[in-house]
Amino acid sequence: MRYLLIDHITEYKPGELIKGIKNVAMSEDFLEFHFPKNPIMPGVMLLEALTQLTGWLEAASTDFKNWFLISNVGKSAFYGFAFPGDQVELEVEFVSEGDQNKKVYRGTGFVKGKKKISAEFEGEIILLEDIEDVEEQKKFFKVLTRELR
Amino acid sequence: MRFLYYDKIDNIEKGKSITGVKTFTLSEEFFRKHFKKQALVPGIIYIEAMAQLLGWLIIYSHNFKLSAVMSLVEDVTVPPELRPGFRAEIHGEIISTSRRDSLGKAWITVDGETVASMNRIIYSHVHKVNSEDLSALFYYYSGIRVNHGA
Repeated sequence: MRYLLIDHITEYKPGELIKGIKNVAMSEDFLEFHFPKNPIMPGVMLLEALTQLTGWLEAASTDFKNWFLISNVGKSAFYGFAFPGDQVELEVEFVSEGDQNKKVYRGTGFVKGKKKISAEFEGEIILLEDIEDVEEQKKFFKVLTRELR
Repeated sequence: MRFLYYDKIDNIEKGKSITGVKTFTLSEEFFRKHFKKQALVPGIIYIEAMAQLLGWLIIYSHNFKLSAVMSLVEDVTVPPELRPGFRAEIHGEIISTSRRDSLGKAWITVDGETVASMNRIIYSHVHKVNSEDLSALFYYYSGIRVNHGA
């Protein structure tokens, strides 16, 4: 499995918000186990999609200096289910500065106008260069935003 | 990748509590992308580990007649910067359970120290289940020997 939970970034405003898409495919490995004979996108994978989207917002807002690692979830609610074939429209917005180099974000995920997840979460802001090749990340961001097309 | 975030169940007490183990190894698929220069366990994996284990306690407590799906989590803390190579003990407790839903809490310790906690998790119950299949999965996943007398 490629642990990449965002397929497309459709819009972003530095320091404010970001929107992206996660397509749920029957070929996802986790659907074999979640659940046996009853494939449902795991709620935490939607939360991971929101977390990764937040990472991209941090990167795009700081010329790829920062990334985001989740450390707390104030509250996350999961409504209904996302199924194979669904397209989840995700959105994350900045809420506030947290304690010590942390930030609070709020995110949602919708399938055809129906809410599937809402979450308020906090995370550490870390240096992207400590965990990834910055130039590669810049290029991949262009793949996600389709600026390379 | 097998979407299973516990390796075995050590203790289970119907309607009350469960303890299990998850070892975090560098061979996990998600480390290929999380991240290139440092292997860090994604924070949400701890949430899934706690949710899966406590979910089994609920299913077991209702004699495999229903399944439990996470519908809300609150007041969760996870460690953002742990690298693999550790053994996590996962603890879960049922606070209340009915036919319709369950409320519980869970936490994870490593070498006796609490590294993650989830103070509130609500599960919705699903009643369309095959009890025999669920029971067989439970005994396979948990490592607990089938005890027909229990």
